Amino acid sequence: MRRRRFIELSALSVASALWLACDSEGPRSARPALRAAERWNEKVERALFRHRSMDYGTAALAGAAYPKYFVSDRVPVWNEAERGAWSLEVTGLVDNPVRLSLAALQSLPSVTQRVNHYCVEGWTAVVEYTGVRVSELAHRVGMKPEAQYVDFASFDSDYHESWDLASALHPQTLVAYGLDGHLLGPGHGAPARLHSPIKLGYKCTKYLTRVEFMAERNGGYWSDRGYEWYAGT
Amino acid sequence: MKRHHWVVRVTHWVNVVALIVMVGSGLRIFNAYPAFARRGDTFCCYPFANKAIPSWLTFGGWLAGARNWHFAAMWVLVLNGLVYLGFIYLHGEWRDLVPRRGDLRDGWEMFKFYAFARRDHPRQGKHNVLQRATYFALPVVGVASVITGLAIWKPVQLGLLTDLLGGYVWARYWHFLSMVLLVVLAVTHVFMIFAVDPYSLTSMITGNYDERLSPEERNARPFYHLLPPRRTTNAKASGETQP
Repeated sequence: MRRRRFIELSALSVASALWLACDSEGPRSARPALRAAERWNEKVERALFRHRSMDYGTAALAGAAYPKYFVSDRVPVWNEAERGAWSLEVTGLVDNPVRLSLAALQSLPSVTQRVNHYCVEGWTAVVEYTGVRVSELAHRVGMKPEAQYVDFASFDSDYHESWDLASALHPQTLVAYGLDGHLLGPGHGAPARLHSPIKLGYKCTKYLTRVEFMAERNGGYWSDRGYEWYAGT
Repeated sequence: MKRHHWVVRVTHWVNVVALIVMVGSGLRIFNAYPAFARRGDTFCCYPFANKAIPSWLTFGGWLAGARNWHFAAMWVLVLNGLVYLGFIYLHGEWRDLVPRRGDLRDGWEMFKFYAFARRDHPRQGKHNVLQRATYFALPVVGVASVITGLAIWKPVQLGLLTDLLGGYVWARYWHFLSMVLLVVLAVTHVFMIFAVDPYSLTSMITGNYDERLSPEERNARPFYHLLPPRRTTNAKASGETQP
């Protein structure tokens, strides 16, 4: 009797282990629990968030080894002949929405910082971005107090990612136009991109065209496809 | 005889599920970048760089799926672990597991017994010294995996911790190593359960353990004397009644 039970139990445990380990996304019924865990994790991440938490890339620059990701089929390049000169729209819940040319963006007070780029895949790269703080932009356009979220949209297909306001206003969150002492190249989001060490790379919209202050979040390209929306580091 | 309190049994099996999910999803996450080097840099200490873990060992289906499981199951693992540690502390079971003086000598004796260099099973209490070392090491490594996990989950907000572990790359490496250690300990544990003391499997389900079937009574080595020595047990029982 004992032996029979023993065999039954072993069979059961082997079967359940195989079912678990079959590289599936797991049982559908678990999704509500996973969503709940993500909402809980966001609360924890917001509680951990500090404007003072700064990141510094202490090693040598990754340079050419810094991967170039985009979602379009080909490297997205702003076509001036088709679309006119590139500009960055800063809009939404603000008193004075603006449309900044690249020159106008570059004339604003800038920051150059050597930080880590934290990719969701698990790699990091030391990068040196030059750009304008999102907090500087928010100040200049007169962000309204109702603004709680910021959406960063691009011309790379329909790519965009929305952020919580606190992370967007972090002193290391930049609208960057320079990388490693050069102007941003087309592989890295030229003419301008969002970059910050305080969120994973996929939150940092490249090929930026619009910064919109909002009362509600509107998801994002990867966060709508199953990746965590908050994604703080 | 009652061997395991129901709290220990429940936390044990919850831990089994949580660990399998954590390791499987962790390996799927690892496969998104199965290396440790910072981009444009090299890493000294991982010879299998850029070789993916076989997908049948992974769980979560894709990176986002695995991350969602990993960051949900981590709470199960941590809370369950706290309940277990809190319980064995308050209930006194921790005394069965902490290292003792003479453990090295006893460990050597156990090794000699398993290597057939000693005839009789060394005397033991609830667990032999190798078991105690394993059951003590598991929660210690578990705590290490949680701490190293926090360091790579929030390398900026918990930057102090990440720096303490040598930075993000090293923290990720320690997290991976603690996983390897956990798996080695757990696999050894399961192997020894089946090879030496399958009766303890029942005790982790019902809580009951028949001391007459203990490895010491059976003089059991891996795959030796799995069945109880019926005649000897009888002789002993009758021997006890004689004056």
